[in-house]
Amino acid sequence: MTDSEKLVKLKQLLLNEDRDFALQILQKLESVEKTLNEEELLSEKVNPIIDKKIETFADEIPSKLGPTITEALKIQIRDSQDQVVEALFPIIGKMIKKYIQQEMKNLSESINSQVQSTFSIKKWKRKFKSFFTGVSEESIILSEMAKPNVEQVFIIEKGSGLLIANVSKSQENIDKDMIAGMLTAIKSFVEDAFTKEEQSLELIQYELYNIYIQNMSSYYVAAVISGSFNTEFKDELEDKILDFASKHKKEKLVEDSKVTNKLIESLFND
Amino acid sequence: MINSKKVVLVGHFGVGKTSIIRRFVDDVFTDDYKVTIGVHILKKEIEVNGQKLTFVIWDLEGKDDVEKVRKSHLIGTSGFMYVIDPTRSSTYVNIESEIAYLKSNYPSAQLLTIANKVDLIDKKEFKKQINYPIDFFTSAKTSKNVEEIFNKLGLNFLNNI
Repeated sequence: MTDSEKLVKLKQLLLNEDRDFALQILQKLESVEKTLNEEELLSEKVNPIIDKKIETFADEIPSKLGPTITEALKIQIRDSQDQVVEALFPIIGKMIKKYIQQEMKNLSESINSQVQSTFSIKKWKRKFKSFFTGVSEESIILSEMAKPNVEQVFIIEKGSGLLIANVSKSQENIDKDMIAGMLTAIKSFVEDAFTKEEQSLELIQYELYNIYIQNMSSYYVAAVISGSFNTEFKDELEDKILDFASKHKKEKLVEDSKVTNKLIESLFND
Repeated sequence: MINSKKVVLVGHFGVGKTSIIRRFVDDVFTDDYKVTIGVHILKKEIEVNGQKLTFVIWDLEGKDDVEKVRKSHLIGTSGFMYVIDPTRSSTYVNIESEIAYLKSNYPSAQLLTIANKVDLIDKKEFKKQINYPIDFFTSAKTSKNVEEIFNKLGLNFLNNI
């Protein structure tokens, strides 16, 4: 073997491993280059990452961008009130118009169905009433529809504001104990504020509801009423509550709330 | 039988009455101080010795004199918590007369004295500054002893039935 052949052999022995390594790197580089240059291959790799980022961003919009958007809207509305009104007026106007039309349609259908119920005793009663009073049958029906109704009754211990019993027509997720407490706090505040004469809070109006309060010696009754609360109904309810109070003392009422709940059902008007 | 009890927290402004209640009812604490106006009512049910009790908790606005608190808010109370801030001596300088007032006007109610914000003080040093017994040292921030004060009140209610 000549010297040059020996040198080649030695090179082969020494550099073979490095050459293989360089070759591998070259192949990897080519593959990366290919992935970067070919859209399809690149999107295969990048799309899931972008999708995930977008998903996280969408989830975080309310918390991260919510206050900024609200602030921007506030400023925008303040600075360009006329344009906002101009833009919203037709939409809101149409919505209200549509809502009123729908409600009027429902009302008219309801009146018609009541007028047309031929075999109802109520109908004949109404016809007589209309004949003798001169008020149209439709008007009588309309007034019947707005009839006051007791929706909920609370019996609350005076002073402590603790709930003794409660009956509700609907199943609402309200905390009755807290309502009893707050009613007592409001009541005592109003009564303290106007101490000139011994008077007590009798009525709270809350949008479509009236809360009628009747005081007894050791407890008070709060009745939530829907519909048009009038003097006639108030007198009727007052009589019922007084009658209830004369029959049931507080000591009896606190003994068993289930029994008390049964008892206060007599305060409902239907 | 009503198993509900009216519990009222009284004390000066900023002693941490609302924070104690929020920690007890919702298990939350915030450093923002929002002054209570009027009254705020919260509720929590607890079990003491196997018996369920409902606490209707009245969080009253702070007053530097307990006699200034609206009496109608105190009537019918089963348990008072008199809360002080040990970092401000003005909140406990009149503790003796204030407690005496509550005890004489509401003799049937249970009463606990509470020093809140214990995480901010050296208890031993504080005890040297006050001559009135404090039932509990609490921290609404770390929730130290918060559950315990309500449980203690519950136990006192049961023992006095």
